[in-house]
Amino acid sequence: MNRSLFMGGIPGTMSRRGFLRACAIATAAMGLPMEMVPKVAEAASDPKRPSVVWLQFQECTGCSESLLRASHPDVATLILDLISLDYHETLSAAAGKQAEENLEKAIERGNYVLVVEGGIPLKDGGVYCKIAGKTAVEILKRAAEKALAIISIGTCASFGGIQAAKPNPTGAVGVSDIIKDKPIINVPGCPPNPENFLSTVLYFLTFKKLPPTDKFGRPLFAYGRKIHDHCERRPHFDEGRYAEQFGDVGHRLGFCLYKVGCKGPETYSNCPVIRFNDVEVWPVSVGNGCYGCTEPNFWDTMTPFHKRLPNVKIPGAGEGIQASAGKIGKAALGVTAAAVAIHAGVGIAKRLATGSKSEE
Amino acid sequence: MAVYEKKYVWSILLRLFHWTFAPSIFTLIVTGLYIHWPWTNTWLEGSHQFTMATMRWIHFIAGMLFTCAVLARLYLWFFGNKYERVWDFLPITGRNIKNLFSTLLYYAYLTDHHEERLGHNALAGTAYFFTILLAIVQFLTGLYLLYPEGSIFTSIGASLFGTQQEARFIHYILNWYFAWFAMVHIYIVVWNDIKHPEGLISSIFDGFKFAKKEQ
Ligand code: HEM
Ligand code: SF4
Repeated sequence: MNRSLFMGGIPGTMSRRGFLRACAIATAAMGLPMEMVPKVAEAASDPKRPSVVWLQFQECTGCSESLLRASHPDVATLILDLISLDYHETLSAAAGKQAEENLEKAIERGNYVLVVEGGIPLKDGGVYCKIAGKTAVEILKRAAEKALAIISIGTCASFGGIQAAKPNPTGAVGVSDIIKDKPIINVPGCPPNPENFLSTVLYFLTFKKLPPTDKFGRPLFAYGRKIHDHCERRPHFDEGRYAEQFGDVGHRLGFCLYKVGCKGPETYSNCPVIRFNDVEVWPVSVGNGCYGCTEPNFWDTMTPFHKRLPNVKIPGAGEGIQASAGKIGKAALGVTAAAVAIHAGVGIAKRLATGSKSEE
Repeated sequence: MAVYEKKYVWSILLRLFHWTFAPSIFTLIVTGLYIHWPWTNTWLEGSHQFTMATMRWIHFIAGMLFTCAVLARLYLWFFGNKYERVWDFLPITGRNIKNLFSTLLYYAYLTDHHEERLGHNALAGTAYFFTILLAIVQFLTGLYLLYPEGSIFTSIGASLFGTQQEARFIHYILNWYFAWFAMVHIYIVVWNDIKHPEGLISSIFDGFKFAKKEQ
């Protein structure tokens, strides 16, 4: 993809201005006031800031891929300026034995944030995912020992993800199911929005602690609101205007995707606001319902993806509020007309009977 | 001791109008203010509870009933009984202009003189007249907001009020007129009911007032 199309003037290597801009965007995403921008910038450029060790287990690299698509800040500058990445299997120049040594050195140095991508299989001694002869569990436990904090990026590292879907043949679990004695934060999504990951890192660098989370360990600033409650198609939902199937008139008119399976009513994330890839899109904006990918076990609970969620009340007695109010209005108008007709009829009948005009 | 007799004043249709109009105004003010300032957001929104949608739904239904009530009252202005017609209470006749000023003085506690009449006094009648006119503006702006695209209400609304936002502003300002009217109306009715044995409040339930019997 020719990314320069979408770069909007953001330089490949980061200028001071671009750097501040990135900090400002992350600060806004965290829901912090703009007065915090200098603090965030200071923390991000502090020479003593922690480095990052990035482990990959049962995963598709989609989370890293999505990070590579982030251009605020662009990944190069993210690595060089914002976080110093000591170890990342896909991105590091080193390979094989050399890469393993880098990891070991980084762990020994300490003072790092551990980022985990992918689920960890536990069944049969964890044999289903091995790197350099060591199982994923072993590597994770070793790297977690000296980590300041752990960020689980993506739904796999957070909750087990697709390999944990029934019947979970490898016994895959998320990081927080294994590591209990470290601060852990989950940034789920398939993939998660890079903006939310970067903001979480910057929050940690700035405040030396992880941001407040919900009961699933997700940062509230990013996962605190239901998609459905700030979706741009919501007015269509309330008015009972739906795409009944893909490609129909309603779909082409941009109506609500609930009936073609949108899981927005049960999914918490800021996708409608932050959007993706700097081209301001997210699934619903391009005509596909939300799959609920930030929720635990969404492969089990949110499938079939294109069937509507049960038990969601459509407002206005199931017809949409404007349509049903219009119906009631017409009925009320009919009743009024009848009442007026009766009134007039009685008046005329009285006049005929008594021959007088008085109605007292 | 004065002797009173029962007089039939308010027809069934007028009482129906009143008891549709009054509760719908109350409902419209409550739900309208919620639409204006959705103070429970976001802790009440969710897939099982659509507070804003519900408030708007109730507002629209109450708005339809309100509109029908106003239409019925308009009919009664011209085809109602003697007390219900406009010329009985508008200050357009000598009798009513005199009554308008005497009622003002009477309400200001400046005189104890009080003209006995069964229908509305001219002050109340004038207020009701303008309230119905404003109610027409309110339902026209409301229907303009409800059907913003390609309906008869769009053309009427656009030619009378301008843009949607202008109509919305008028609709919102009138909200406060109706709130004010409801308060003053109830106060004055209770005040009159206490000062006079004509049975003003019960008349809107059963249609009868009590007048001193001429002996
Ligand atoms: C006494 C009568 C009424 C009162 C006090 C009232 C009050 C209000 C208020 C305060 C608002 C919010 C305006 C804002 O956003 O600032 C509103 C909105 C609205 N009202 Fe009314 N209203 C009345 C009658 C009606 C009627 C008769 C209709 C038509 C059926 C109607 C339809 C609407 C609509 C469509 C909206 C906009 C809702 C939206 O933005 O989603 N209203 N009303
Ligand atoms: S169901 Fe989906 S498309 Fe429809 S309003 Fe909710 S989140 Fe948006």
